[in-house]
Amino acid sequence: ASGKRGRELRKALVSVWLQCPTITRIYTIGESFEGRELLVLEMSDNPGTHEPGEPEFKYIANMHGNEAVGRELLIYLAQYLCNQYQQGNETIIDLIHNTRIHLMPSMNPDGFEKAASQPGEIKDWFVGRSNAQGVDLNRNFPDLDRIIYINEREGGANNHLLQNMKKAVDENTKLAPETKSVIHWIMDIPFVLSANLHGGDVVANYPYDETRTGSTHEYSASPDDVMFKSLARAYSMYNPVMSDPQRPPCRKNDDDSSFKDGITNGGAWYSVPGGMQDFNYLSSNCFEITLELSCDKFPNEDTLKNYWDQNRNSLVNYIEQVHRGVKGFVRDLQGNPISNATVSVEGIDHDMTTAKDGDYWRLLAPGNYKVAASAPGYLTVIKKVAVPYSPATRVDFELESLMERKEEEREELMDWWKMMSETLNF
Amino acid sequence: MASKHVGVFVLFQLLVLNVVSQTSAFPTPTASTDDKTVYNRQLTEERPLQEQIAEADSVKAALQSAESKRSAASKDAGSEQDDFTMLKSLADGQKSKETTEVPVKKEDQYVPDESDSTKSRRLAEDYDSTKNGMEYDDPESFRQVDGTPLTAEDIVQKIANKIYEEDDRGVFDRIVSKLLKLGLITDNQADTLEYQVAEALQDLITKNAKNNEIEGAESNDQETRGEQDDQGSDTDAWEPPRRRYNEDEDEEEEDEDEVEDEVDRDAEEEGDTPDNTWDKGTEEGNEVSPEDGLQDLQYFPNFYRLLKSLDSEQDTQERETLITIMKTLIDFVKMMVKYGTITPEEGVSYLENLDAMIAMQTKNKLGKSLVLPDFAGPNGKNLDEDDNTKAEAAKMQKEYENLKDSTKEDQPSTETNQPGKSETYLEAIRKNIEWLKKHNKDEGKDDYDLSKLKDFMDQQVDSYIEKGIIAKDEGDTIKRIYSSL
Repeated sequence: ASGKRGRELRKALVSVWLQCPTITRIYTIGESFEGRELLVLEMSDNPGTHEPGEPEFKYIANMHGNEAVGRELLIYLAQYLCNQYQQGNETIIDLIHNTRIHLMPSMNPDGFEKAASQPGEIKDWFVGRSNAQGVDLNRNFPDLDRIIYINEREGGANNHLLQNMKKAVDENTKLAPETKSVIHWIMDIPFVLSANLHGGDVVANYPYDETRTGSTHEYSASPDDVMFKSLARAYSMYNPVMSDPQRPPCRKNDDDSSFKDGITNGGAWYSVPGGMQDFNYLSSNCFEITLELSCDKFPNEDTLKNYWDQNRNSLVNYIEQVHRGVKGFVRDLQGNPISNATVSVEGIDHDMTTAKDGDYWRLLAPGNYKVAASAPGYLTVIKKVAVPYSPATRVDFELESLMERKEEEREELMDWWKMMSETLNF
Repeated sequence: MASKHVGVFVLFQLLVLNVVSQTSAFPTPTASTDDKTVYNRQLTEERPLQEQIAEADSVKAALQSAESKRSAASKDAGSEQDDFTMLKSLADGQKSKETTEVPVKKEDQYVPDESDSTKSRRLAEDYDSTKNGMEYDDPESFRQVDGTPLTAEDIVQKIANKIYEEDDRGVFDRIVSKLLKLGLITDNQADTLEYQVAEALQDLITKNAKNNEIEGAESNDQETRGEQDDQGSDTDAWEPPRRRYNEDEDEEEEDEDEVEDEVDRDAEEEGDTPDNTWDKGTEEGNEVSPEDGLQDLQYFPNFYRLLKSLDSEQDTQERETLITIMKTLIDFVKMMVKYGTITPEEGVSYLENLDAMIAMQTKNKLGKSLVLPDFAGPNGKNLDEDDNTKAEAAKMQKEYENLKDSTKEDQPSTETNQPGKSETYLEAIRKNIEWLKKHNKDEGKDDYDLSKLKDFMDQQVDSYIEKGIIAKDEGDTIKRIYSSL
């Protein structure tokens, strides 16, 4: 990333990497319109590798280039995790050993440069928000909400709605390079949980963002409304500002009637089509929420420490939410993983799919569930699970192929014959 | 349940063979060479294997489309229903290739004629087990004393005999509970079977009583009745036998010895007759040798082929087992048709599918292992592609940056930042090394290897420069720091 602040970002990330090279890795998912690298710092005990069964997590900040707090917080977070790891903090050590954490401090480095380059302390509310092409990245994602609402009415898939994703993305001229890069990233890595960091208000926002009827304000629940509320609260409860019921709205005339316990449904707050949050949920297995972290979009540098204090515990606690619900492997009877198998939960109209190693993670609030694993050519298996708040309950599936079942029947037939002849003994 | 699948599968296989045999054995009002030709064309062995396998595959495809069209059959258990439906639609898929004549004709042919037991005997002859070269006293064979395979009536009779001989109603319970468990018969059928066995037993007793002045069942019968009640049988149906048993019971008799003698005699007879059966078999005009006794399985070319493939010595047992299984299946399916469990048409359908299924299984066995569709897809492939494009992009960006740097005014600031950067990086590296030292000491490992670490970091730095993550000068700074340690 060129430009002064870009270099500072890179410097910060490289420093973390140099300090903790065994648990970190820096990589790039692509370039911005102006050629700046979209950098990610990965933290895990085996950086660069997806360990089967290990959930993937991401934080993305600064998709609106002028909303800067999140960007700085992620840098702080990277430093914090590295330091704490080396100082023997067991919580952090466990987290890093059992999760693969991806931190992208800036999805819109071009916009950030523009915003940061403004003279004086007071930054304009809009300068630097969109990318270098003038595209608002949080309205630029394929609008899958529309499709899910149709499917809800008329029947259809309840997950992974973007058909022929790669092709659709590459050939879509309306997508900004930053958007495309993130979509590829989502396709490449089986993310389970994520949050995208914004500024301009203080609340944890969850799906769906777009209202069903198209009205400007309407509670728009997703099938995982219960879980999303739990996730959003898991963030807000550790942020004293966010969860303060007495907190006045950021601006006098702001309508924060939908905020409760520091969380809000997206559609209830205001309708947002084409956002990254809902795109995650409807195109992949990933649950994403939107975190608004500051009334001021681009506050002074000397306030950053405060913001860090307010958000540090929330940021760590939210990562830990990835270890909830049920998780496991779907395999055939020979123990081979079955990738792209469907994992469905009775009563929740949103299915997961298994990743390459047959591994899956299904976030669930505490309760009793029936979880089914199915795949074409196989017999479906259903299991009952009692799910606590945390940690995730391990539920593996062994699926019998239809051919195997036929073979089994033939063997049973032979057994039956033996039994018959022994019994009758003619 | 798998056992239910087996049961259904079994039954229909029986029906298949039954029908096939019937076309040649049963005199029917409308039987004509045309029908046979049509039917034979269906299942003649002349059809090349490839074609049949291909058909089996297309049947499978037809299954998937046909399955949605099927309405639930009027069967007992739900899962059985599904299998039934599935197999049925499989049959329909195949059927769609036949002419429409055939089903109609089959229905006519397939009227089970209960009154004429000789007909079923003739049917059974067509695949006389003796011609397959099996040992007569093979415990796994399922044949009459005279060598002809069993019919439904025979089975009932046999069970009754066994109960009588062993004086143990438990025989029946064992058999029936296993049949029920495997889903071969329903509760109603079990009741009917019980009734029939009871009748047969009663006849036996009466007959023997008359012959040997033996009267009456043992107290077993009372137990029998009690157990029957427990099984929830239809009490009405049981009234007559029960009454009869009661009467007989009053007149207890000895002569179990005589019964046993009879048993022994029977056993001897059985032992004496192998040769007879052989002769009988050949006498009945079946000109084919034991080996060619399989000729009648020509309607099941794949089964035939399977048998042929089992021609080694160690396969003999399996081969024989398979043959007797087939024959037993036929008998039982006949019984099921007799009891009205399935319609003849359905039975025919399943019979038709039998060979197709054997073809599929054989194909699988022949090493064409089932290959799971490749779901590995996106993750692996994309990453590779991305890495390529990223490397490319990194190269381009480097050039771009070089150009930019030369023109931008922050060129000087790059230089002034260097000392700051170096310090920061040095600080970070030192922290790492401190941690390594401490960490290795805590874990009891050997002291970290600095040169190894340096090599690793150099490698990483180069990789990062290449990818455009860090600038070359930054990379050099880092390398310099490491070499100075």
